[in-house]
Amino acid sequence: MELTILVFLPAAAGVLALLLPKQYEGYAKYIALLGSLAALALSIYLFFDFDSGAGGFQYVVNEDWVDVGAFNLRYHLGVDGLSMPLVVLTTCLTLASVLVSFSVTQRQRAYYACLMILSTSVLGVFTALDFMLFFLFWELELFPMFLLIAVWGSGRKEYSATKFVLYTIAGSAFMLVGILTLAFSANTFDIVQLGQQASFENPVIPLGLAFFFLLVGFAVKLPIVPLHTWLPDAHSDAPTAVSVMLAGVLLKMGGYGILRMCVTILPEQADDYSIWFAAVGAVSVLYGAFITLRQTDVKRLIAYSSVSHMGLVLLGIGALGQTGMVGATYQMLAHGVVTGLLFVMVGLMYERTHTREISRLGGLARQMPLITTGLVFAGFASLGLPALAGFVAEVTVFLGTFQRYEWAVLMSIFGVVLSAGYILWTLQRVVFGPVRHEWDGVTDQKQWWEHSVVLGLASLVVLLGVYPAIVMDMLNPAIQGIVERVG
Amino acid sequence: MPFLLAETVTAAPDVEEWMLWAILLSPLIAWGLIVLYFRKLPAIAGYLAIAGVGAACVMSFVAFFATVDADGAILQHTHEWFTAGPLTVNLGVRLDGLTAVMLVVVTTVSLLVQVYSNGYMAGDPGYGRYFAHMCLFTTSMLGLVLADNLFMLFIFWELVGLSSYLLIGFWFHKPSAAAAAKKAFIVTRIGDLGLLAALLLVWTRADTFDIAAIQEWAASGSPEGYIVTLFALGIFAGAAGKSAQFPLHVWLPDAMEGPTPVSALIHAATMVAAGVYLVARFFPVFEASHDAAQTVAWIGAITAIVAATIALVQTDFKRVLAYSTVSQLGYMMLALGAFGYVAAIFHLFTHAFFKALLFLGSGSVNHSTNTFDMRKMGGLRKHMPITFWTFVIGSLSLSGIFPLAGFWSKDEILLDAWRENRGLWVCAFVVAFLTAFYMFRAIFLTFFGTYKGGEPVDHHDEDSHFHGDPAHPHESPWVMTAPLLILAVPAIAAGWLNISGGPIDSWFADLLNGALPHVHEHGSAFEWGIALSSSAVALAGIGLAWVIYYKRWVTSKSIRDVALPVSVVFENKYFLDRLYEDFFVRTVLQRGWNRLLELNDKYVVDGAVNGAGTSARWVSGQLRAIQNGQMQTYGIGIAAGVVIVVVAVFAANPL
Repeated sequence: MELTILVFLPAAAGVLALLLPKQYEGYAKYIALLGSLAALALSIYLFFDFDSGAGGFQYVVNEDWVDVGAFNLRYHLGVDGLSMPLVVLTTCLTLASVLVSFSVTQRQRAYYACLMILSTSVLGVFTALDFMLFFLFWELELFPMFLLIAVWGSGRKEYSATKFVLYTIAGSAFMLVGILTLAFSANTFDIVQLGQQASFENPVIPLGLAFFFLLVGFAVKLPIVPLHTWLPDAHSDAPTAVSVMLAGVLLKMGGYGILRMCVTILPEQADDYSIWFAAVGAVSVLYGAFITLRQTDVKRLIAYSSVSHMGLVLLGIGALGQTGMVGATYQMLAHGVVTGLLFVMVGLMYERTHTREISRLGGLARQMPLITTGLVFAGFASLGLPALAGFVAEVTVFLGTFQRYEWAVLMSIFGVVLSAGYILWTLQRVVFGPVRHEWDGVTDQKQWWEHSVVLGLASLVVLLGVYPAIVMDMLNPAIQGIVERVG
Repeated sequence: MPFLLAETVTAAPDVEEWMLWAILLSPLIAWGLIVLYFRKLPAIAGYLAIAGVGAACVMSFVAFFATVDADGAILQHTHEWFTAGPLTVNLGVRLDGLTAVMLVVVTTVSLLVQVYSNGYMAGDPGYGRYFAHMCLFTTSMLGLVLADNLFMLFIFWELVGLSSYLLIGFWFHKPSAAAAAKKAFIVTRIGDLGLLAALLLVWTRADTFDIAAIQEWAASGSPEGYIVTLFALGIFAGAAGKSAQFPLHVWLPDAMEGPTPVSALIHAATMVAAGVYLVARFFPVFEASHDAAQTVAWIGAITAIVAATIALVQTDFKRVLAYSTVSQLGYMMLALGAFGYVAAIFHLFTHAFFKALLFLGSGSVNHSTNTFDMRKMGGLRKHMPITFWTFVIGSLSLSGIFPLAGFWSKDEILLDAWRENRGLWVCAFVVAFLTAFYMFRAIFLTFFGTYKGGEPVDHHDEDSHFHGDPAHPHESPWVMTAPLLILAVPAIAAGWLNISGGPIDSWFADLLNGALPHVHEHGSAFEWGIALSSSAVALAGIGLAWVIYYKRWVTSKSIRDVALPVSVVFENKYFLDRLYEDFFVRTVLQRGWNRLLELNDKYVVDGAVNGAGTSARWVSGQLRAIQNGQMQTYGIGIAAGVVIVVVAVFAANPL
């Protein structure tokens, strides 16, 4: 019951905002704020109430939904140690994206409706335990995302929105074939049962191919090289809040899917593919980082750095060991808050200067000392500075993968130098150097919602950096279950 | 709560655990308070920083004397930080002879520099931020020397890099400062790759991060020799980055863009010594791998010579000191590679004091003349007597003149080099000559002759906080001269702590040896031959500088003309910056490889995506032509379909 409330609470707030009479348009943001605050509070309560020692799924809801012949679909929700932290990440970033949207003035009711429905769909993905329900939530996310980019975006927004949707749908088509193959041969859509399945009888297509099809769907979302080109376009043309949600949680659906579906349901096939996980992960880390160094648009730059950082997730999963997978999940959480904060800072800067071209910026540290502080902080978090979130994740991934794929890790650690290169070079060109009088008179960060979103996310970055056990203790038993499946 | 489950391994020095953590935390608390509340209140920020570092300093001395009482034995407290499957990471503090010496060096120099900064930085708009960063640096450095395992050491190692970045780039509106900060962080991070690889290797092979356990593992003989060598080289790569060893030394001279007290603290006395500390910390590993030790020794020797030769031709007062620092760090590495563990740390100890003194002296000169260009100085001896005399003391100590501190520590290094390898000794001997020469060249150019007017104040520069009048140089205020006078004491006397056969015998060596798992036999003693030859060569260097730059019997220009190709190489810093930045980063990486990948991404990878879209549209456009609404066309289609099906059925089931 708690999970049902949690998942649908944002969407309810969104619908309520949409139904507001026109003259109360300005209240839409407060409804969204209340809805996301309530969802956050509930998720935090569930997080601390969660019994890590008990293992398995908790707060389970399992009701009949559709029951037609072989199609036995159930409304089945639940969270375990893997999904619980991701749920909290989602509610945190939902609140953050509502707050950074306070400056949006165009069609506010529809805007907040889309944003909140987006949040519901992501929460649904992380909690659904029925494969078809999972797929429904997975697809539901496309609709608000399309509108958010195409209506409230900038630049080539229609192109980017369409590309995003078509790319994801193409991936989903493969995924659906994989889902149906597994569900029909195991005679269940239940993810928990599938995750305990010993063998599959007469699959329509070979299980190796089914694994690959599922993987394609998730790999597009993560994204991995070479399925990543939708991401820079979507990021650069999306409004700030959407970039925060996209980088912060939507990409994590891919990593979550690989862990929960590919590796848990088909551990043997995962073992066969694992060397490719490591290889493609390492290539993504380096390829993304090299291309990041060439970017001239701040948001595209962060988007490509995300490709690099998500390569680490794949690398960590590739070792199929507990340390690596815990590290990979931690990397998802760390990247969520760090990149969320980076996009917030860049968004605040963009609102004031109306440009994201690095060559036009410069010397902003004088005109925007607070925004600069936030940007430098987020930048150092992104390059993996210890005591901030990314470091623990990176090193855990490296440690977990080194034993099995030394070469992949030795390649990937060069990403550590490259990330220092692109982050510091960007900071040097955007906020340091001589003052440009073109930007005289721009305001610094000063609204309460701006302060609260920056401080909130920064605190999370520090919390994950200095007290990893708060999440690791929850991840460990859940990941152990997956590792035991792999054997 | 894992934090409450303290497990005490040994308890040799009589120090409470909380005090070790308090040493680490007190500057951190000062940092937090300044950042949160006092950034805009310079009056409070400066004193708060001094109070935080001062408290750490007092407690460090308590810990130091407790360790002395325990003959340098080891005290360790470890707590679990987090686990991820089989991986367990701990946070812990370790106090032994080596840590105790480093604690005293770091906090003492740091405290004096903070006091000095109260004067030097007065009026700077970023005054509060400055002291916050200085506190952060002190914390990071203390964490680095207190860490009981490699993982935690790595954490503070990187935080030291952060503090250095923030302080080098303190005047961030200066493009050169912003560039230097970035360069420092990235170049040291290249070295850190080695350290990270060593961290991965040791956990995979030895299943531990604990320093004592790693030392035992390396010395046990159970791991294959090449693994120990790789681990040692990884450690050394990290050390070479932070301690500015060739070929990663290029960041340190640029780091002089930071405020001068920062150069004194970070880029002379403490942070750059972190690499030397790291190698010393894992000294048993280098003992177990002769190849790695040889690498350390020769890289150290090359660094010492390369940097000393560049220092000969610098015109910037502070850069002479910067290259001198690089050279002296090479000296320490040379000593470590020659198994001169005590000698290296002893030199680190004395060098910290006299080099901090020299840098603060250069800051005092800058405070009065508004420049670091020695061609605009001269004759300052009369105007700034305290600065002058303390600077001469520091220079004599650095040159290794009896009986100053540098004499004793340098002598031990020469002795260890002599015993290990004559080639190393020759390098060290040549550097001793060069050091004396370039230091007194700087002294004669700066403090003797006639004053050339300094740098006029640019009143349009809103960031300048220069108060004085460069045309009339004056002695600096007491907050700046007092630290100079205080530092002059250890610059003279710190060497007396480790004179074998002297009044307190090898007390210092015993203290340091206590940190090792076994007795280290390669001890140093005094030898007249080494001591006399090195003193003679140092005096020769001073004499030559006196001939060229004071008496001017030979002009420096004529010497330059005679050895033109060599001078050009020295003046261009062996062309390394050009090689790295222009050739490698800008051309090969950015215009070549990265551009290639970017084009690939745009036209091949994304081209395929857009191509798929375009071709789908084209195909559907073609298919639309078929659906033209004419019954005849459809009829032909149906008929063709029937034929195909029939043929297929018969083909599959032949009659």
